[in-house]
This record gives sequence, C-alpha cells and structure tokens, in this order.
Amino acid sequence: MLQRTVPMAILSLSGLILMLAYFSPMTTSWGETVLDWFNILAAVAFVLGAGNLLAVNLEKISSRRAGWAYAAITLIAFFLMLGFGLLKVGAVPNAEHPTVAFAGGYETAASPFGWTYEYIFSPLTATMFAMLAFYVASAAFRAFRAKNIESILLLGTAFIILLAQTAAGMFLTGWIPEESAFAFLRLDWMKVAITEHIQTAGMRAITIGIALGVVATSLRLILGIDKSYLSKS
Amino acid sequence: MLARLGGIDRRWIFLAMGLSIAVPILLKLRFPEVPGPMAKATFNAIESVPEGSRVLLSFDYDPGSAGELQPMANAIVHHCAARGHKIVFMALWPLGKQMAEGTIKDVLLEFHPTYTYGKDYVQLGYKAGNEAVVKLMATNVPQQYSTDAAGAALASLPIVADLAKLADFKLIASLSAGYPGAKEWVQYANSADPEAFKVISGSTGVQVSQLLPYYPAQMEGMLVAVKGAAEYEMLVTAKYPSSEKPALLAERLGQGRVRMGPQLVAHLLMIGLIILGNVAMVAGRARGGAR
Amino acid sequence: MNPHQKSHEQTSSLPPSATPSAPPSATPAATPSAPTPARPNHRFLWISLSVLGASLTVLGTAMAAQQQGTDVALATVALSKSIGTWCAALLTIGILTFLYRDNPFYKVCESILIGVSAAYWMVNGFWSTLVPNLFGKLMPGVVRDVAIPSLPVSATPGFDMALAFVPLLLGLMLLWRLSPKGGWISVWPLAFIIGTTAGIRLVASIEADLLAQASATIRPLVVFKETVLVGGIGAGSTTTSDPSVAMAASVQALDFWGTVGAVTGVVGVLSVLTYFFFSLEHKGAVGKSARLGVWFLMITFGSAFGLTVMGRITLLAQRLEFLFKDWMGIS
Repeated sequence: MLQRTVPMAILSLSGLILMLAYFSPMTTSWGETVLDWFNILAAVAFVLGAGNLLAVNLEKISSRRAGWAYAAITLIAFFLMLGFGLLKVGAVPNAEHPTVAFAGGYETAASPFGWTYEYIFSPLTATMFAMLAFYVASAAFRAFRAKNIESILLLGTAFIILLAQTAAGMFLTGWIPEESAFAFLRLDWMKVAITEHIQTAGMRAITIGIALGVVATSLRLILGIDKSYLSKS
Repeated sequence: MLARLGGIDRRWIFLAMGLSIAVPILLKLRFPEVPGPMAKATFNAIESVPEGSRVLLSFDYDPGSAGELQPMANAIVHHCAARGHKIVFMALWPLGKQMAEGTIKDVLLEFHPTYTYGKDYVQLGYKAGNEAVVKLMATNVPQQYSTDAAGAALASLPIVADLAKLADFKLIASLSAGYPGAKEWVQYANSADPEAFKVISGSTGVQVSQLLPYYPAQMEGMLVAVKGAAEYEMLVTAKYPSSEKPALLAERLGQGRVRMGPQLVAHLLMIGLIILGNVAMVAGRARGGAR
Repeated sequence: MNPHQKSHEQTSSLPPSATPSAPPSATPAATPSAPTPARPNHRFLWISLSVLGASLTVLGTAMAAQQQGTDVALATVALSKSIGTWCAALLTIGILTFLYRDNPFYKVCESILIGVSAAYWMVNGFWSTLVPNLFGKLMPGVVRDVAIPSLPVSATPGFDMALAFVPLLLGLMLLWRLSPKGGWISVWPLAFIIGTTAGIRLVASIEADLLAQASATIRPLVVFKETVLVGGIGAGSTTTSDPSVAMAASVQALDFWGTVGAVTGVVGVLSVLTYFFFSLEHKGAVGKSARLGVWFLMITFGSAFGLTVMGRITLLAQRLEFLFKDWMGIS
C-alpha cells in the first residue's frame, strides 16, 4: 500500500490535476499550487545533489581510495562556497534594511561568494566547455568518413554550412549577383535553403516523433500502466 | 606517408585547433557581416513592439555558453533600452542571474544611465523548477515571484506592480543554451497565449536545430550562434549608436564580430581535417590492397 | 538535473586510456608494467592548498579593508581583481593542460569545480526558492525578520502554511534517498515529480510540438510572391479588371524557389516520419520514402554539426580572449 498504491495515486493525481487545470479555468489555482510544490522540490533536489556529493567523497576519503586527496579538495571547495553563500559572508548590506542579517546581496564580486563565482567557478566551467572545440576537431578527423551516399550528404552539408557561416562564403560565391538566375549557387543562399527548409523539415519530423513519444509515456504513467519508477525503492 | 597520417597523435590536432583560434584573435581578424533573414526578423520583432513596452528577458545560460550568448544578450538589452522598453530580467538557469547582472552593469547602466531600478528595469532572478517556472508564470507570476531578487515586494516596484501573468508582457526573449530555455518558453508560454506576446530567442549553435521548427510561426525571431549575434550587433549598432561612448559600445556590442574572426580559420581547419582523415583512409585502404 | 552536471561527469569520466599518453592497446604481456591508476601527488596537493589558502587570506584582508571604507578601498578592489584574474587564468590553464595529458593540476581544478558548483546550486536554490517560496509560507514572520523584510503579507497565511507542509514533507522524503534504508520513502516525492512533469509535458507536447508542427507543415505548396504586379514584374502596381491580364500577372508572380522550399518541407517531414514508422516493413514505396527520409536526416545532422562546430569554437575563442586580453594585457 505505502510502497505501491500511494505513489501511484500521487503520480496520477498530480498529473491529472495539471491536465484538468489546462481545460478548466476553475481548477487553474490547483495546478498553480502543484507547480509551486514542484518548484520547491526542484530546489530540494539541489540539496540532495550536494548530499550525494558529500556521501561519495567522504566514503572515498575514509576508505583511502585512489584519488582521495582530490575528494578532499572537492569537499574543501564545497564547504567554503557553501559557508560563503548560506551565511552570506561579506554580503553587501541591503540599502533599505541594513540591519536585517541575511537581507544583503551575496552575489557581487565584493563578497567572497561572488568573488569565487567570478574568478573560480566561472572560468572553470567556461574552460571545461571550451575544451569541446579540441575534441570536435579530433572527432572530425577520425570519424567523418565518406563511405556511402548518406555520409557524403552529411559531409557535403557540413562543408556548405562551415563555409557559409564565415566570410569564406562571401569570398567564394559573393560575386554571384543575388538577383541572378544563378543565385542558388551562392553559399549563403544554400545555407538558408538548407536550414530553413531541409533541416527544419527533418527537425520538425523528429519533434513530432518525440511529441508522440512524450504523450504516450505520460499517458502510460498517469494511467498507471508504466510502473517502472516504483522499482527505485 | 598518407596512410600513416591516420595514426597521428591527436595532440597535433589540438595544437592546430588552438593556433587556428589564437592567431586570428591576436591578429584581430575581422570580416564584414551581412545580416541574414533570422537576424533581421529578431531585430524587427523588438522594433515592432510599441516603444516603452514591458518585455521579459530570460537568461537561460551560464558561463559555459557565455562566449556565444553574451554578445546577443548585450545587443538585445541595448536594443530594448534604446527603444525605451521596460525590461524584466529573470533566469531559468542558476547562474543565469549572474549573467543578467553582468549585462545590466556592462550595457544597460553603461549606455542608458537614466534607467532606474524598479521603474525601467527589474531583476527577478532565478527560480528552481525549469519548465514548471514558465508554466506557473503563464497564469500567476506573483505566486512564482513574490519578490524581486533583492527581496523587494513586486507591488512596490512600478514596472511589475500590476504584473499578473505572462500575457502582460509584449515580448519574451530567451537567451538559451539548452534545457530549460527557448524551447520551454515556446512550449509553455507561447502556447498558453499565442497572440499576447512575441517570443524571440538567441541560441547556441548546438541548440539551433531543436528550435528551427518553431520559427517563424511560434518564435518570431531567432539568433543563430555567434554569426547571428554578429549580424544582429550590426543591425543594432547601425540604428542605435552611442554618441557619448562610441568606442565602448563598439567593444561591448562587437564581441560577436570579434569572435567571427577565428571562425574562418578554424572552419577551414575543420574542413581540412575531414578531408585529410578521408585521404588517410583511402591511402590506408590502397596500401592494404597492395599488400 | 542540470546540463552542467552532465557535462562535468562526461568530461571527468574520461578513462585514463583516453589520454594521448596511454598505450593504444595493452597486451597481456604489457599488463604488469602498465601504469597503475594515477596516484595523487601529495606534495602538489599541499602546494595547491597553500596557494588557495594564501589567496583567500589576501582576499579576506582586502575585503575587510574595503568594508572599513578606508583610503585604501580602491587599491584593495584593484588587488582583489588582480588576484582574481590570476586565479582565473591559472585555473583556465589548469583545465587546458588535460589536452596534453591527465595530470594533478587538472585534477585539482576539476575537483574545485565539482565542489564549488554543487555548493553554488545549493546556495542558489536555498536563497532564491526555498526561503521565499517555502519558508516564507511556513514561518513568514521569521523570514521577514531575518532575510526578506518586504515579503508580501498573505491574505490567507494559515491556509498557505498548511499547504506548504506538503512540499516540506515531500522534500524531507526526497532527502531520505541519502539514507541507506527505507528507499520506498523517496518514491513518493519522485512519483509527484514524475506525475507533474507528465501532466505538463503531455499538454505542451500536443499543443506546441504536435498540432502546431502539423499546422506548420500543412501549407500551400505553390507559393506566390507577396506583391502581385499586373502586367508583369516591373510594370507597376496598376490593377485591372481584365481576367486574362490578371492571369498573366499571377503567373509572373509565382515564387519558384519558395514553391520548391514548400514542397521540400512537406516531402521532408513526411519521408522522415515514414522512416520513423516501424509498424510497416520498409519495402517498395515505403522503403523509398524512408530512404529519402534518411537523406533528409543526414542533411539535417550535417547542418547541425556545422552549427555545433561554430559554437564550440566560439567558447574557446572567449577563453583565449580572456587569457590574452584580461590576463596578459594584449589589447
């Protein structure tokens, strides 16, 4: 009962309320309440994520597993940032309410939390993503092979887009007059034709396919046909 | 020799990629941009909204995508302010609020010093919940945001005092790096009230494919990757230059065009690498066949 | 949960064999001498921690001086910025060193990133959502006194408080996942999260992705230019009642490429959908249509690849701009 029936009822009820809220204005406020709760749980999920991080890293340190020292660094960084933020260390006092302890702004670079964001978190996360430029180059060299008509189409399109997106497009074909009968040979023309007609059509079909999948899965869940989530217990 | 090329240490490829981007930056390579239809549509969407309208800018990205989206954010904020729009900032990503704060400081207050907090712009900040935030705002903004990011009640801020639902905006722009982002704004905001406001987006190159089906029926304008940013920058700075700080405006609203410089060399390198990889494959096969 | 988390995991989970320095394939004979998993270099670790500690001390001193409003305030702001720029540059380089090979410097940077980002999200979730939306309803007086003095006064505080107990309870049950026992307890909030997501996505998918996309596909296949010029292009906009002239004019205004684009769009959507349709065997006309669908998909992916490359390059350009301009001062 507690392990199966109640969660299934919770799932169906929350799903049905939101569907009902869409069709009946009288129940809109019910849907809003459910969404409000959902958003609070989304914030709790951040706490859960942090708790998981703690558990994993503490276990690593206590069992002296390989790389435990890095786990220690992770935890030091975590607790420092957490302390700066939760306690609003060095926060800029609220202009209207300077005496209220936790009303200040803690995210400006003048506070340790904001400083750590600006000069530690931000560059680290940005560089992590920037690394992908190197890997995409390496992958292009190793994986893109013109083996059949499908891969030739993929490569040909990639070449057109890569050229048309830069000044190379204008250098190579910019001399063809836009109003002439041969304008379709311009790379910028081809790029617009590919993205706005062919790529849009392909993505539209994928979107429709995904939507059908989402609808089917949602209905299976709300109607209690799909119970796979219960196995998480 | 060509056959052995396939086994090249990938660090040489990394070095080539690094140089292809670093050298054009150091040489300050810049090329003229011709605004494309999507950049023009985005520009026109903001132009077509009556002057002084209330607009919502959602910063749905973080420093990991700032290279692509910050130039768009800068240009959109300058454009909206030049049109006298009342700007409401918010974020669906935890770090989005910081990105919005940076844009307010570097662009809005720098080039539009008369903009007053609470009267001309407001920062609502971040809320957890992804698309549920949009869905709740569609019908009840005060339930989601009882105060602004600094803790002031919405009723005390003239720009949002009467804000009840998303339909009270004339335009919503999402600077989107993925989930949640522009797709969710179309799905949950635009669908709720398609006629009430226009939706536009600035998106990363990776996300463009996902958003294309929505353009132009559900999303009136769309800035596609850094090229879209560069084109839009040109349109905005041409119509709304700064008489007091032209050099600073050229810098802050020129980032997209600066980042288009390395694109040429790096894209040519990518094409070269793909061709080389294929040549190495063919040569390897020929060598194998000869044996 | 967050796109970031995913990408960090992807990056950090690169096996040692993925690094360039690792042998391409370890033979059984080579196994005993194969490098063991990277052991932390403790000397390096202590140096890193000392540098971090020293930086924070200097930063703290600088901020304390700044808050005292002394004459050195401006200088301390500049110092704080300089230290920050150096930190940011070293961390940027630290991450980039992974391109050469896995190393302790990179691992330290990665560890800091994981710790800082988890704390950042938690702090942000706490102050932006939990305090105003949950605690603001459970104990509005306390929240007003301590954190949000301007928190609006509810017309029905008792009702709000009663309702707020539901997410509080569900939240505590969700945190129960951290406990090794009673796993079923966290299934209740999970069921709520799944149910809510299903409820909103069901409607949104039908509306924005199914009906709207079908509507965008069903468009006239023959496209005419917006302005119909009577008497041919360039002849002006004079209207006429003569039907033969009007017919000639409309033929002149046919948008050839627009028509091709419209037909391509419809054919593309239908053929790709045929490819996704697995209830019918892909033979004959269905097979041909599915094949065409694959071609459309290949062009779609090729274009997406080109745009992705552009994005990646931009991100790297931004980091190099930072190193050259903000750190090295090359303007």
